[in-house]
Amino acid sequence: MSHATTNKTTSPESRPQPEVDRRPLARQRRNRILLQVGCVLITLFMALPIYLIALSATSSRAALQEFPLSFIPNNFSLETMETFLQSTGILGGLINSIQVGIFTLLLSLIIGVPAGYAVARFAFPGRDPYQLFLLFTRALPIVVLSVPLAQLFLQTGLYDSILAVVLLHTALALPTTILITSSVFLGVPRDVEEAARIFGCSPVQAFLKVVMPMAIPGIAAASIFTFVMSWNEVLGASILTLNQRTLPAQVLSSLAESPLAYRFAGGFLLVVPALIFIFFMRRYLTNMWGSTIR
Amino acid sequence: MSDLAHHDLSRRTLLKGGLMALATGPLLAACGVNTSGSGGEGSVNFLSTQFSPVEERQKYEATLKKHAGDIQVAYNPVDTGVFNTTLKSQLGAGKVEVGIAGGLHSDLIPFASQLEDLSSLTRDLSSAGFSDDLLELAKLGTDVPRYIPWIQATYVVAVNKKALDWLPSGADVNNLTYENYLAWAQAAREANGRPVFGIPAGPKGLHHRFYQGFLLPSFTGGQITTFRNADAVTAWTYMRDLWANMNPASANYDFMQEPLGNGEVLVAWDHVARLINAVQDKPDDWLMVPAPSGPKGKGYLLVVGGMAVPQGSAEKDKAFELIKALSKPEAQIETLKSNAFFPVVETEIGGDLPGGIALEAKAVKAQQEAPDAVLALPPVGLGDKDPQVSQLFKNCFQEICLNNADIKATLDQQGAELASIMDTLNVPCWAPDPDADQCRVA
Repeated sequence: MSHATTNKTTSPESRPQPEVDRRPLARQRRNRILLQVGCVLITLFMALPIYLIALSATSSRAALQEFPLSFIPNNFSLETMETFLQSTGILGGLINSIQVGIFTLLLSLIIGVPAGYAVARFAFPGRDPYQLFLLFTRALPIVVLSVPLAQLFLQTGLYDSILAVVLLHTALALPTTILITSSVFLGVPRDVEEAARIFGCSPVQAFLKVVMPMAIPGIAAASIFTFVMSWNEVLGASILTLNQRTLPAQVLSSLAESPLAYRFAGGFLLVVPALIFIFFMRRYLTNMWGSTIR
Repeated sequence: MSDLAHHDLSRRTLLKGGLMALATGPLLAACGVNTSGSGGEGSVNFLSTQFSPVEERQKYEATLKKHAGDIQVAYNPVDTGVFNTTLKSQLGAGKVEVGIAGGLHSDLIPFASQLEDLSSLTRDLSSAGFSDDLLELAKLGTDVPRYIPWIQATYVVAVNKKALDWLPSGADVNNLTYENYLAWAQAAREANGRPVFGIPAGPKGLHHRFYQGFLLPSFTGGQITTFRNADAVTAWTYMRDLWANMNPASANYDFMQEPLGNGEVLVAWDHVARLINAVQDKPDDWLMVPAPSGPKGKGYLLVVGGMAVPQGSAEKDKAFELIKALSKPEAQIETLKSNAFFPVVETEIGGDLPGGIALEAKAVKAQQEAPDAVLALPPVGLGDKDPQVSQLFKNCFQEICLNNADIKATLDQQGAELASIMDTLNVPCWAPDPDADQCRVA
């Protein structure tokens, strides 16, 4: 191969040219192909289960009993989905879950972003222990906390309300929010902020107009974590509520004992909103990769 | 554009934002959406471990609506763990929002001393005809009734009619012996080239109830006292042989209605409520038959659920009314028709049952009324040791059938643990073990 290449590139003066080493190019191409294959495999790994759940959720119950199950949707039926959606508390639970997710997100950002900024920018006594201490909230399993927590909420009258769940989820989400945002604020150069101050910004304005926009990707990542955590959290939500359940608390225990068809329908319904949220937040995330490459 | 003005402005906006965030608090508390049908002011919260699967819940809510009269009921089916924490935290906080706690006998045991004394209610309902066994169980080991029997069920064998071809000659499918059952499983396996019998030995399956209430009582006449005697060795030897002829995927089955429904398994023992979906759709293809008999009789386990009122409940009077309404024969029969749980009160079931339920009712009746029937009750008075004891039976299955361990050694080992649990508990024996003031492993 290398011989043919030399022939082609021979110049009119027939001066012997140095042999072109094509190996790096080939290696690059091979790596690119491997990368593509890897991407496709990972996508399949993620998408296939979702596809199968969607397929099963929209198949008739009789079709689910067949063996082997077909890969293409040829038994389309919304029967199980409809029965599932009509059962008590599913739509209510969905609305509650979305509310809890959004309010948890807002509350944890309102508290977490300034805290992250403080940890990143200011040296104050006890900063390192504080950072470590943050993680302790996650070190205690909810199972241990549940009974005293429920008792406290009962006594303060917060029990069985959305607010109770929002407060719990915010407490659970804050460590990740603070740690993620603080590491992002660390990446925003102090010079930029100082420049903003020189051009007449107040500290708050400098933060809001200059630092925040540059930290958006990190905040987006933190909010995805928060929302998905809140969306998936079952135990705390089911212990703190009775008549105002979130969707997972409402359906998860019942799904475990329901016929297969409902497990698929329920699984599908639980996956979709979180996916929609991630799709929406994704563009802020890719921004992060964009800005780092630049 | 002075620096100061900017400063003021942004501080003000920040303050505004903070205030708005604070204002969302009370707003949030008010804007939750109800998820249990009717959880409004004055409604009775019915916390339950039963009827949590999607369709069962819908059916039971319909029954409640029909029979509760003008009492608003918020039916909340949860799993046992959440049931426990919810009750525990509410009782601990002294603010009980649950009106009725409905669960199986074993679910209610941990709260025995914190449940209302239902003596007056039991007196009011004395004409309903609860059996003496049930009323004794309802005391939960205390001196007074702590719950009112709610539902009962048992376990039977579901048979796909295809499997009748291989029934050993001379065996009566409605009056099987354990020998017949094994021979049948063997013949069916040989004819099919694969085993077609099953048992719910999955993580959430109820196979330990088979050993506690069926296999051991039938072979040994007892459950606890006879745990490690020679008869028990025979019983577990039988179980090992039977397992060799069962679908090995049984170790993953939680509910036999699924493998029965798709034809993986043709004959299976399970809880009636976990068989009914397979049978219900095509009742003509199925038989439901009593469990087999062994040398000591036809052991069978009774499953009992009760309705209790936690002490300090805000809606105590309404809860009592609701319990009365649900103890009426009409409500009990409705529960049988829709949810496949049997009435606990005296009533004529009647002939208008749906196909699957009719099959089930016949099998349950035949099992209870069999001349050699040996009634086994769920463990009485074990309190929080109940799951541990069940686990010992599961361990025996794991060791003997799956790990092929020595039977006598396994029974001695697990029996020693059972003996130490029973010695610390100091509780009287329950059926089928012979009466004794302290139940001990022989």
